[in-house]
Amino acid sequence: MTNGLAPSHPEGAEPSSGSPRIRAAWRALVGHTAAAGVVVQDHRRERLMSWLFIAPALLFLLLTSVYPLLYSLRLSFFSWNMSVPNSQPVFVGLRNYTRLFSDPVFQSSLKTTLIFVTSAVTLEFLLGMALALLVTTRIRVVGLIRTLLLVPLMMTPVVAGVLWRTLYHSTYGAINYFIGLVGIPSQTWTGNPEQALAAVITVEIWQQMPVVIFILAAGIQSLPLDFYKAARVDGASAWQIFREITLPLLKPVILVVLLLRIMDAFRIFDVIYTLTFGGPGRVTEVLSILIYKNGLQFFQIGKASAMSWLFLLFIFVIAIFFIRELQGREQGGTA
Amino acid sequence: MAAVRTLVSQQRLGRLLLYLVTAAVLVAVAFPAYWLVTTAFKYEVDTIVSPPIILPLRGTLRNFTDVLRVEHIGQFFLNSALIALVSTGLGVLLGSMAAYSLSKVYMAYRIRQVIMIWILIVRIFPPITTAIPYFVIIRGLNLSDTHVALILTHTAFTLPFVIWLMLGFFQDLPDAIDKAAVMDGCSLWQRFCQITLPLALPGIAVTAIFTFIYSWNEFLYASMLTSRTAKTLPVVIAGYMSDKFLRWGEMSALAAMMVIPVMIFAGLTQRYLVRGLTFGAVKE
Repeated sequence: MTNGLAPSHPEGAEPSSGSPRIRAAWRALVGHTAAAGVVVQDHRRERLMSWLFIAPALLFLLLTSVYPLLYSLRLSFFSWNMSVPNSQPVFVGLRNYTRLFSDPVFQSSLKTTLIFVTSAVTLEFLLGMALALLVTTRIRVVGLIRTLLLVPLMMTPVVAGVLWRTLYHSTYGAINYFIGLVGIPSQTWTGNPEQALAAVITVEIWQQMPVVIFILAAGIQSLPLDFYKAARVDGASAWQIFREITLPLLKPVILVVLLLRIMDAFRIFDVIYTLTFGGPGRVTEVLSILIYKNGLQFFQIGKASAMSWLFLLFIFVIAIFFIRELQGREQGGTA
Repeated sequence: MAAVRTLVSQQRLGRLLLYLVTAAVLVAVAFPAYWLVTTAFKYEVDTIVSPPIILPLRGTLRNFTDVLRVEHIGQFFLNSALIALVSTGLGVLLGSMAAYSLSKVYMAYRIRQVIMIWILIVRIFPPITTAIPYFVIIRGLNLSDTHVALILTHTAFTLPFVIWLMLGFFQDLPDAIDKAAVMDGCSLWQRFCQITLPLALPGIAVTAIFTFIYSWNEFLYASMLTSRTAKTLPVVIAGYMSDKFLRWGEMSALAAMMVIPVMIFAGLTQRYLVRGLTFGAVKE
């Protein structure tokens, strides 16, 4: 191939000057039979260099992620109220944890978080899947739809929170106006203990459903068309095609979407902070808000750290489940 | 024949229904943004009336001039931009170097795998779980209300993302050029700076935009680590909730000024959006 493609440029005639990029590109085109021996010689230095390349990032992550987490683990065994001047942490062993296990506030917050995550992600996923199928198969104005969907997704979460607070406003808000048009009486939404959590979930769905649509649509578009043609020739219905072809082929992408959305939904903070701040009462007090209130409002550093760690372990278990599932899939695919 | 005709008309009806449902969903998706923008241009009296004005017939720039008169607002804009820029630069530099190293085969497969999973796990943790230790540590270091505090915490959060995303972009590059440069005796550093980086420039740009948007939007760390000198825009917006909630026009004007640059940036990344959203796991 080398000789056939570059007969007018014998190996010796390559440019000896010029940037390494040009020289390298040249080598790539002309072939690299000449200098094969150099590789072995430099291998050791390359390995050392590659460690030097990754070292700053690893060091940075050690200092800014691993150390703070371990520090917080240590703090979780102490009782420390930072709002008291000159107060010192007092070692209490596992007391912060044992108290949390029987703390109704913590338990109800955990429950609220779970309800929030499962209902938001389920609805986002079902709606997102339906819209992704529509966008990829039936609709032409994809560019416009993409742009529209980008708007909530990229909106600053704090802005989304205050914006929806004005939309939900019982007197001046647009939502009560619209439901009034079809004869439904005004509601207080974020002020009503029975509606507040649903109101928060709605905002989450509004903002994050585009993620599901974008990713699933990309996944659907990358599926091999042959299967579909064959299925259609066999007279399969749209539902059969979806269940028998699209769904199984899309499973890895679905797993990625669910992992991302579940992890991100657990992370919710800004929107609830600005929309309800956990209220009314504690109806929308997810774990992030509870930890914030305990740690950064009441400065119960030990207790908040223990909560953080329970939260972490919880997330960790779910993440490991998904990562294993994804990895098993990958290895199964290549083997 | 008649049966075929009903089938066709049924299909048409179904299709029409689909379009209607999609249109309804899209209107619902777009309406809040429309509400934000129109509120920003409304007279203050027009923002607090019942029933609300959905289609405003008169408008004003008053809210925008009011925002610009908020004390230190210029500095808050600058803080947001500066922190996002520096944190992005730092994250992209450290992250692409690490990703480059991981994209090469010099490291044992097992070690690479462990590092990558570890990095992924760091990113999965909710920010609130590091909030308490950050708060205590930053206070202990006397870094409260400094730009450095936010730059470090934001970079800590975006670095794993940069590494994973850049790794995907680097793996897409043809290996032959890099191998040829090895033959030429280019060092790893030379190859990284003069071959890989220029070739992966679109990837770097996309990654940088994503990290910039994250930092620009970030609220939790900004609210707990800053009070005045390093205060950023999300904290200012959240402040409207407690101080002057009924100044919807002014609040919306500030929010619009904050969100619009992000939207423009986001538009630029459209081609790589799914990659960014999925950490590089799904490519479009």
